[in-house]
Amino acid sequence: MKAGEVGEVGAVMERPGPNSARLAGLLAGREGLAATFAATRRRLVAARDPAGLELWAEGALALLDANAGALGLLAYARLSEEQGHRLGGAVLGEVARAAAQLCRQAGAKATEAALQAFQSLAPAMDGPGERALFWAGLIRLAAAAPDCVVPFVGRVGEVWRAGHGADFAGFIEAGLRASGPATAHGRARRRAFFALEDDLALSLAGRIGAGIGFAEMEGELRRVLTALWGSAPQLQTLPPAGRDVPRRVNIAGPVLRLPDAWPGLNAPAARRLYVASAVHAGAHLHFGNPRFPVGRDKPVQIALATLVEDARIEHLAMQRYPGLARLWAPYHRASADDGPTVAALLARLARGLFDPAYADPDALVGKAQALFRAALGEIDNPAISREIGTRLANDIGQRRLRFDARGHVTEPAYRDDGLGLWDFSAVDPEVTAEVEMIVEAARIDRRAGEDGKADGPPERSAVGRARPVSAGVEGVVVATYPEWDAPAGIERADWVTVKAMPPSLGDGAALARQLEANGALRARIARLVKAAKVGRASRLKRQSEGHDLDLDAVIEVAIARRAGLVPDLRVFRSSVLTQRDLAVLVLIDISQSTRDRLAGGLSVLDVEKRAVALLAQALAGLGDAFALMAFASNGRGEVRVHEVKGFAEPYGPEPAARLAGLSSGLSTRLGAALRHAGAMIGGVRSFRKLVLVLTDGEPSDIDTASADLVADARRAVLQLRGRGIDSFGVTLDPAGGGEGAVGEGAANEATAIFGKANVLPIRRVEDLPARLSELYFRLARR
Amino acid sequence: MLTSPDLAAHRIAAEPYYRPVGDEIAVFEAAWAHRLPVMLKGPTGCGKTRFVEHMAWRLGRPLITVAAHEDMTAADLAGRFLLDAQGTVWHDGPLTQAVRHGAICYLDEIVEARQDTTVVIHPLTDARRVLPLEKRGELIPAHADFQLVISYNPGYQSAVKDLKESTKQRFIAIDFDYPAPEIEAEIIRREAGVEAGLAATLVAIAACSRRLRGQGLDEGASTRMLIHAGRLASGGVGLETAVNAAIVLPITDDADMRAALRVAINACLP
Repeated sequence: MKAGEVGEVGAVMERPGPNSARLAGLLAGREGLAATFAATRRRLVAARDPAGLELWAEGALALLDANAGALGLLAYARLSEEQGHRLGGAVLGEVARAAAQLCRQAGAKATEAALQAFQSLAPAMDGPGERALFWAGLIRLAAAAPDCVVPFVGRVGEVWRAGHGADFAGFIEAGLRASGPATAHGRARRRAFFALEDDLALSLAGRIGAGIGFAEMEGELRRVLTALWGSAPQLQTLPPAGRDVPRRVNIAGPVLRLPDAWPGLNAPAARRLYVASAVHAGAHLHFGNPRFPVGRDKPVQIALATLVEDARIEHLAMQRYPGLARLWAPYHRASADDGPTVAALLARLARGLFDPAYADPDALVGKAQALFRAALGEIDNPAISREIGTRLANDIGQRRLRFDARGHVTEPAYRDDGLGLWDFSAVDPEVTAEVEMIVEAARIDRRAGEDGKADGPPERSAVGRARPVSAGVEGVVVATYPEWDAPAGIERADWVTVKAMPPSLGDGAALARQLEANGALRARIARLVKAAKVGRASRLKRQSEGHDLDLDAVIEVAIARRAGLVPDLRVFRSSVLTQRDLAVLVLIDISQSTRDRLAGGLSVLDVEKRAVALLAQALAGLGDAFALMAFASNGRGEVRVHEVKGFAEPYGPEPAARLAGLSSGLSTRLGAALRHAGAMIGGVRSFRKLVLVLTDGEPSDIDTASADLVADARRAVLQLRGRGIDSFGVTLDPAGGGEGAVGEGAANEATAIFGKANVLPIRRVEDLPARLSELYFRLARR
Repeated sequence: MLTSPDLAAHRIAAEPYYRPVGDEIAVFEAAWAHRLPVMLKGPTGCGKTRFVEHMAWRLGRPLITVAAHEDMTAADLAGRFLLDAQGTVWHDGPLTQAVRHGAICYLDEIVEARQDTTVVIHPLTDARRVLPLEKRGELIPAHADFQLVISYNPGYQSAVKDLKESTKQRFIAIDFDYPAPEIEAEIIRREAGVEAGLAATLVAIAACSRRLRGQGLDEGASTRMLIHAGRLASGGVGLETAVNAAIVLPITDDADMRAALRVAINACLP
């Protein structure tokens, strides 16, 4: 380009357009701003884009109109200076207009911060679509929660990922939704979310741009661990941390805690890393030992012993599963070129111990390999890890290499943080401070503790959740029923009053989680459901039409013809699917005796709830009509029934919460409960009706002798049968005694009430969930 | 009579390979000595049928095998009238043939048959040892060498399909399971003609899949599956492909389960 040309074009550009002229006019009184803008404008002029220049000036005017203030305008000027050559005037104008819109909602300060954040992120933004998503997200936030914009844009770099603009919008929507109603409390939560001080926010931010997360991998990891190591530990996610903190798997007792995502890894890489980490941690649990006491060990010793222990269990694992070498090898990439730091040396040591063929110029790696080789004879003994680790640590100490305990991160990435290997309870006070550093370095909240229970939920999340509420003492009288007075031999009309109690809600989700834990049983029940749902094909013989000949009938026809008789021409076979048409009401005894604790710490009622929840899931899967009802009594004037689920409503979170909310108390007046159940199920239209009674003992109440109540219950059962309603008793041994120690009395009474064929005594209460569902499928087939 | 009395077709000429894993041969021979009915329990593909063939060969008796199915009627076991040019003619069912001529009758997967069908065997399995044919009005006393063997896989039928208590209690039971790893490897080596290392790898893979039983798999990989995989591999198919085709794909349709199985299998492959 010739000098003359530049001058010519420059002259054209120097003639300000209407926007530029107006901008210059408005800025005239503001010395500092005017000078900055003039300088910026001159740079843009050099880019020779007159139209863009006008748009740029228009953007500045928009900011002025929106009252963006001197700081906002300066931020715009800085952005233009920094990014102007790349973005051009038109784009800058567009950005300024978006910033002006933001300014109207959230104010000048937010606008300045947003422009600054944009300035640093702009190089990573991928075209106009991404830029638009960024600003649209901020404007959406400003409209809904203007106070959150400033804290949010301060950390927006942790949420924005190039190529994932839609996730950015999703994050903002999630934050707005999660904070709940706009009360003072909701606003505080919202602020915490957008300042990324909230676990949920951190966890969501961590997942943006990550290919695959813990949630997608959990099932597969559990199966892989079961397949390789025989049992799967409990899997949990680590508490969220900032996205730039390296994450390592943590072993806490029998619990594996994994990151909920690996930021920056695409889906196949994240999947590989999840599998590699989980299998490594599984090997620790499988081949591991009681934890090493920390004692007087220095952090560098701990780090090295951990490293050798990692190599030891991997060696054992690869002896058993040679293919694991292929799983882990890609992560061992350390080499002598990585620099002279202790961290790099540790990574090379790890590689050297993992791969005996690896040769490293540093003699320490060779020494470690030799020591490890020499110890292969007792590879089963975890003590060698500590011994070799200590010797290597001494060497590092003699070289006066500084070990950064606070910044230490286990390498390679698939290995766990090593804290699970050590018992920190017996730390020598002299080294406590140093050891604390290494613990802290892992940046994991150890309060989560050995028992695997995560930290209690933060105070605020308790709000808005269902809590057990004590039901009102007064129920509503819904019916009166007669009762059989056995000694007198008469039926006393309207003798017993039944009251429907208001529901009390418990934690249905917790109940569901307990069921999740028992995968094998659930799988079996699911199979039964599948089998029962399809229905069994039943064969019909001697049909007038069908898919093949009924051989026996054909032969009879032939015989009849020879004998000169009139043959029966129905000679075909066909098959039909038997249809299920069954309604069932489950009657749950919640009398005082169900409060008894079993050996496992659960109460009888807890087991009853699980069993009923499991059955309810199966029934919901089958599509059979069913209802759940609990009962307890307090004399004839007050037989309380709790309707957990009616026939009409589907089994969902609400009935589950009502089931979870049942509590034990009072007595067992079974006859009245059966009559009420009969009244409820009597109104349902179905071919078969079944009342399933779950009880833990013989009927009793405060005002009548047990024997009389047994006789009354027997009569109620017979009356039900007379109306075509089957009843079946499942009796639990209330004492929870071991084998053979069945509550003989209970079983006998149950037999007297329901009849011998209609009683299932459960010897171990813990078996109830399995037996109850199986029983149902048996009964349903009868 | 349409059947050949000597049941030549049912005789087993060559010794079927069977690798004993416990005292099952001794128990079976003792049961045979008293002609007690035997029930073989165990998961699919662990060698129940092969064991019966081996025992029939060992004892020199013909073996009549009936695979039970849902539509099986008592007539399918006992026999029925058929027509020919002269009129009706009785045709013995497989069970009746065995009873008349002294064969071992093996009812495979007996629970698959309807419960009313299985009661046909009741009079044969107690002290009476007779088979009543009500259609012919005949009562056949069992041949001195007749023995009844049933197989029964208690795993997947669970509550829906189960033997009646009255049927169960007539049998001597022999429990089968997948053999110990070394023995299983030996069996695979022998049956599939593969070298010992490969057989051991296949056994390790099977162990992984069996641990997943109840966690999404109904059954782990059976010995039979391993032999199939071994045969594919020795026939020139790559080991990973062979395992995929013979084990992973047949055993589950669940994509997640397949992914997990493949990870475990990769860990086992050298």
